[in-house]
Amino acid sequence: MTDIASSEFAPLQEQKEVHAISRPSLSYWQDAWIRLKSNRRALVSLYIVIGLLLFTLAGPWIWRTDPAFQDLDQVSQPPGTNRGALVVEDYQPWFGDQFLAGEDLRLAEPGTTQAVRLQWDPLDAAGGHRVYRNIFPLGPERAYGIPLAELLDPETDYFEDRLDLKPGRYYYSVVAIGPRGELLDNFETIEVSVQQVTTVIEAVERGLVDDATELQVGDQIDLIWHPLGTDYLGRDLLARLMAGARVSLFIGIGAPFLFVLFGVVYGSMAGFIGGRTDQMMMRFADFVVALPFLLFMILFKIAFGIGPGESGVFPMLVALVVLMWPATARLVRGQILQIREQGYISASQLLGAKTSYLILRHMIPNTLGVVLVTVTFAIPSAIFTEAFLSFIGMGVAPPTPSWGSMSNEGIKTMLTTPHELIFPAMFISLTVLAFNLLGDGLRDALDARMRNTE
Amino acid sequence: MWLYVIKRLLQGIITVWFIATATFFAMHNVPGDPLLNDRAVTEAIRANLEARYGLDQPIGTQYLLYLRNLSRGDFGISFTQENREVNDIIREHFPVSAILGILAVVFAAAGGVLFGALTAIYRNRLPDYIIMFLVILGISVPSFVVAALSQLMLVTLNSAVGTTVLPVAGWGTILHMLVPAMVLGLGTMAYLTRLMRSSMLEVISSDFVRTAKSKGVPPARIFAKHQLRNAILPVITVLGPAIAAITTGGFVVELVFAIPGLGRFFVQAVQQLDYTVIMGTTVFYGAFLVFMVIVVDVLYGFIDPRVRLE
Amino acid sequence: MSRASLANEAALVLLEVENLAVEFDTYGGIVKAVRGVNFTVDHGKTLAIVGESGCGKSVTVQSMMGLIPMPPGHITSGSARLRGTEVLGRNSIDGKEIRGAEIGMIFQDPMTSLNPTMMIGDQIAEPLQVHKGYGYRQAFDEAVRLLEMSKIPEASKRARQYPFEFSGGMLQRAMIAMAISCKPSILIADEPTTALDVTIQAQILDLMQDLQHETGMAIILITHDLGVVARMADDVAVMYAGKIVEHGSVDDVFYRSAHPYTVGLKEAMPTNDPTRQHELHPIEGSPPDLFAPPPGCGYCARCPFAMQICDTRESPDFFLKEQHFSRCWLHHEDSPSKPDDLYFKGREA
Repeated sequence: MTDIASSEFAPLQEQKEVHAISRPSLSYWQDAWIRLKSNRRALVSLYIVIGLLLFTLAGPWIWRTDPAFQDLDQVSQPPGTNRGALVVEDYQPWFGDQFLAGEDLRLAEPGTTQAVRLQWDPLDAAGGHRVYRNIFPLGPERAYGIPLAELLDPETDYFEDRLDLKPGRYYYSVVAIGPRGELLDNFETIEVSVQQVTTVIEAVERGLVDDATELQVGDQIDLIWHPLGTDYLGRDLLARLMAGARVSLFIGIGAPFLFVLFGVVYGSMAGFIGGRTDQMMMRFADFVVALPFLLFMILFKIAFGIGPGESGVFPMLVALVVLMWPATARLVRGQILQIREQGYISASQLLGAKTSYLILRHMIPNTLGVVLVTVTFAIPSAIFTEAFLSFIGMGVAPPTPSWGSMSNEGIKTMLTTPHELIFPAMFISLTVLAFNLLGDGLRDALDARMRNTE
Repeated sequence: MWLYVIKRLLQGIITVWFIATATFFAMHNVPGDPLLNDRAVTEAIRANLEARYGLDQPIGTQYLLYLRNLSRGDFGISFTQENREVNDIIREHFPVSAILGILAVVFAAAGGVLFGALTAIYRNRLPDYIIMFLVILGISVPSFVVAALSQLMLVTLNSAVGTTVLPVAGWGTILHMLVPAMVLGLGTMAYLTRLMRSSMLEVISSDFVRTAKSKGVPPARIFAKHQLRNAILPVITVLGPAIAAITTGGFVVELVFAIPGLGRFFVQAVQQLDYTVIMGTTVFYGAFLVFMVIVVDVLYGFIDPRVRLE
Repeated sequence: MSRASLANEAALVLLEVENLAVEFDTYGGIVKAVRGVNFTVDHGKTLAIVGESGCGKSVTVQSMMGLIPMPPGHITSGSARLRGTEVLGRNSIDGKEIRGAEIGMIFQDPMTSLNPTMMIGDQIAEPLQVHKGYGYRQAFDEAVRLLEMSKIPEASKRARQYPFEFSGGMLQRAMIAMAISCKPSILIADEPTTALDVTIQAQILDLMQDLQHETGMAIILITHDLGVVARMADDVAVMYAGKIVEHGSVDDVFYRSAHPYTVGLKEAMPTNDPTRQHELHPIEGSPPDLFAPPPGCGYCARCPFAMQICDTRESPDFFLKEQHFSRCWLHHEDSPSKPDDLYFKGREA
């Protein structure tokens, strides 16, 4: 230790500042905002929520298709279908062509969405024929399904199918039937590929061209574009999703705001007044909680009654408010009671603060965070409730679209055109997910106990 | 303890009375005359019904009559199905809903506790991430979508195997119940998993677990004797509301899987405006839920000594 | 056991901790909670570790018990030998488990340190079942006897009660009964009286001393209460910012304090001795941030006698006598300043 210079033993001149506070001081909301920003999941959710609101409010200004318009050329079309259509002549009735060349079951002309014209030679021992159309080839078990037509005259050897034809592949079968209408063993089957066609008149009607002179038979033309496809009535899915979003989000956001507001007023009144009134008020809230929620949603809905032409949005909103306020009321009352016991309230009172000041300066800021989190979590549950009720047909009345009623319509064609279920279901899930994650983030950000951790 | 049970039961009866009253006045508010419905019945039955429910009397008398019938356990006769008592309908269809609901609750509670404990133990490691991702999906995807997707999967599975491994719809055997019960319990399970996870995390870092470690208790015993029992308490408190959510949430599953439960019957009754069935079912469900909440609370008392000995 | 091995055993120090260092990985960086700690504990003796909150007292003992959560914590260096055998990172030595069997431990807050849903008797019986293979009945009877030993009235009835039915002092007695159930050679008491009423504190300390006399166990007592130290301890280690700054017998540390921090602690403590009464002087400021410990003495920023060298260089241990050292540059032979408040080698106390 000889290497220590004696100067090093001189007293330390400048004492370090021992009381320095290294972290800047932040207000409650600043701190909460900083922590929300650092929570990536919550932030992404916030963007999704903003995006959804834009989709709902601004969407119809950009995508101006009428959600009620039925594009009968394109029914239940998944997104990304080829929209090309051949312009053909107007439909002319057809009564078979006995001189058509060929044997067995055959096409009189190429299949189009306008008509598929079948011609065949009468089957052996047939007392008549049944015509079937399937989207899969007949297997060995020969599951025909429901017949398109039953032709009891064995001499009738042609059939024209105009039923709801879509571009794609169909399998037509003609089966012989016996005298009592029973299916016989002999049958013929044919694969038909159907092409999308339209006529000049239709094209003008649909607004695809301005003037009939622009178009000639044999031209190729693009049908109306549906980015997300169409539903079972040929309505544009994107436009309906936007319209449905308006209903779903109106209920999903409007109802929570209303019942949280009511709950806040009710709960803070109970908390402030206290005593017997408080007991009575909270007991009433307990009763409302005990009502079986979904059953009463339905009950209230029918109690309101929906007249013709009404959408049923308003009854649902009211029913939600009537049934869902007690949770908020309990929470706010508890919060108020807790704050009332805090030392800083007594200190403030000792310093001469008026009740109004206490409410404005202490009660409201200290309950606001909790209330905000409640609203955020109430939104997904309200959206779920709406979807649930509309799905079982107890929600908004058709034709008003909502994501729930769209899912209800979509589930019927789930096996053939899943997009009609997938899109509304996806929107419900995405919205619920975003609000849930945002709620988680907000709760963590506003929880003062979590300050300076992480 | 017994005093507590009796007190809770009395409270429960008052709550059921409130539910019955709310049901009565809500239904009374429905526009139109229930008997002017085109589905309504012959003149004789009509007169019978009018006398029985006092429909020509003032509302106060009707209400008292209704309460008297209820207190005798008589929910009345269906308006649309001749000679069928609401009690019969409930007796026939409720057991189906109850079995489905109980299976779903067991599934949700067992899964929630198991997965919640797992995620807490493997916090911020792969099992935690995987389970929590699925939990968030379970919370966000509506039950009807899950029901539809699982049906789709069953169809694919059955056609891939070539025989009916699990039936796609219907009711009867345990095989019919399995998938609908899982679908029904899924949302609740996701919720319980989250709850169990946070509760378990709190317990893991608690002082008494540290004490148990300092005693040299092996981890498996710490988990079984110290962590699980304490972490499960908050899960049990929400089990009452969870049962309520599951039993009424059964509507959708019963619709999608074509299960002849009370929920499906209720929806049908609402579509046909069958007043007595609607009212009877609502009051019955309400009473059942109130009773379940009491059962859960009493059960809780047996697990948490702090409540039991109060 | 042969006479030679007995003598051998007696010759070995019961517990010897050498150069122990513990770090924690946190979001803000690495916290060096314990930065090289040495001490020894002898059979039947009491070592008190004193220091203010966050100085690393609890971490030091918890690392010996394997109670540090890993991650984020990890022991970076050092050793702790119980009768010559390393215990760090191990669960058992010579077939006997360390936790609960060799070393018992009690904690600061008895209210939260016991399982709220388990009977007191069961909790005391648990280590007996785990370590000694007792059956349930046998273990429970032994638990009742231990409760009696811990001077809890109506022990057999109390054993069937739950923690919320006990008062804080009673719970701490139950904790002690639990910790000594397997007759450990060391009892670690981590601030055992901090959460208790003053009157109860004395009873708990008496109980610990009585049990020490009966069983001959050593006690490591962690506290920030110098009154408790004076009453209980044979040796004292004063910790500051993750290091032991002064170590010695209780008389040496109290009456021949050789580190400015020890002096500061004493001045911040009230006394009832009229001849030594003084104004209470708090130690200004707060301990250094252990994310980035200072290169020199951790106490430098708060020390009234700080020198240039204190800020830049770590002081070695300056031994005032065989078992008494201070980690302070003032004891260096070249240091010009020798403040009156401190004890220096050769100076009269």
